[in-house]
Amino acid sequence: MVKVAEDQPTEAAEAAWAPMLRMPIPRVPGKPPTPSSECVIRTEQLSIYYGSFAAVREVTLEIPSHRVTAIIGPSGCGKSTLLRAMNRMNDFVPSSTVKGKLFYRGDDIYRPGFDPVELRLRIGMVFQKPNPFPKSIYKNVAWGAAINGYQGNLEELVERALQQAALWEEVKDKLQDSAYALSGGQQQRLCIARAIALQPDVLLMDEPCSALDPIATAHIEDLIDKLKSQYTVVLVTHNMQQAARVSDRTAFMYIGELIEVNDTNVIFTKPGNKRTQDYITGRFG
Amino acid sequence: MTAHFVDLLDDLRRRSLRMAQLVEEVVREACEAVFQADVEKAKRVVQRDNDVDAEEVEVESEVIRLLALYQPVGSDLRLLCTVLKVNNDLERIADCAVNVAERARHVDARTLAGPYEDLRQMGPIVVHMLHNAVKAYGSQVVDDAQRVLLEEDAVDALYGQIIRRLVAEASASPAKIAAFLDVLSVAKNLERIADHATNIAEDVVFVCTGEIVRHRMH
Repeated sequence: MVKVAEDQPTEAAEAAWAPMLRMPIPRVPGKPPTPSSECVIRTEQLSIYYGSFAAVREVTLEIPSHRVTAIIGPSGCGKSTLLRAMNRMNDFVPSSTVKGKLFYRGDDIYRPGFDPVELRLRIGMVFQKPNPFPKSIYKNVAWGAAINGYQGNLEELVERALQQAALWEEVKDKLQDSAYALSGGQQQRLCIARAIALQPDVLLMDEPCSALDPIATAHIEDLIDKLKSQYTVVLVTHNMQQAARVSDRTAFMYIGELIEVNDTNVIFTKPGNKRTQDYITGRFG
Repeated sequence: MTAHFVDLLDDLRRRSLRMAQLVEEVVREACEAVFQADVEKAKRVVQRDNDVDAEEVEVESEVIRLLALYQPVGSDLRLLCTVLKVNNDLERIADCAVNVAERARHVDARTLAGPYEDLRQMGPIVVHMLHNAVKAYGSQVVDDAQRVLLEEDAVDALYGQIIRRLVAEASASPAKIAAFLDVLSVAKNLERIADHATNIAEDVVFVCTGEIVRHRMH
């Protein structure tokens, strides 16, 4: 008869382990996310000028659907300019001009007659610094939908947007309080809820965590990860660890040029270009 | 901060390389101890293995510290992962060297002469292979690493010959089984050292290119 060793797992230990053993194991650990076949935004040889200065130079880039695409690069590399071009926010800079093409779902958004206001309903934006309106939490979220003639139930829309922005539980009992009473991280999630309330297709985020503390940053990063199931997200960030944590694709820009774009996993383990390598390892400049 | 991190990485790399050179010397001494039946040398191998063990812990601690504090990416991440893996291989190589050296107490040097000439040949080849692996680890040149990978076949072939001869002779002379086991132990440990040298060379390819070339036909 086989003697049972004393250190063999007890029934209780086995019971504790059993659920873990039943958990599925990924077939190919570390495999990059399957590329989305659908391209939502595409730039072709896109150059953006401020006067005679080329802030973005002949960038050709595809933004896949339902993925987080991060754009990284040193200050002044043109990443925010490129992001703002995606919903024509650069139109508000009088000296800016655009060459090349920028397509949103196949439609050239810089063609004559294209309506940028309609575009901004489909492509929302969240800025570096939280910028709530000087109104109640409720009105901040409801406002965009209300002025655009939303016909549904506004209260439901506000609740849904706040839930998607992971803010509902924290504000549901004080919806009429001023948005300014919220913390910085809560204000930023409110701005995301405000953008989501318009039920956009794409969310552009311009350094959305740079004014936030690490806990608030972690909340936003978790949120970005959840949002990609419903939206396409383009994220500009100075924080390379953030790009590595939350994005599926990463584009590296330098002095207005797109140097390299690839799966985030590849960019941060074996980048193909020496300038990318030097930048991500902090040896730049 | 980046300049400081680069300095720390350089320090770690130099430290790991010095450990590799120490291990290379230990293996050379172990071969001398067993083939020259030099018991004093065998004792020194055992003592130096303690130095290797202590250094292994220090290097591993530093890798963990740098990973935790600096969250490296790209080539820095590959280098730290490689240092950690090579560190493990070096420690195991030193253990194998101790196993080889310890046979010096038992093996009659004459046993290793004559019929076991292939075992004598195996020693210098393994030492040479390890030297080239350490050299590649220092230079981080893919071609240097790939030369090491090509040498592995020669060691495997010699090991196969020795095993076949041992089987034949052990059947014919069962009274000498203890001596045969000593020969087997030396051969087996030398073959393991060659395997670890191959691992180091494969890790050099990884640190240079990001490609994992293990388990491929060289």
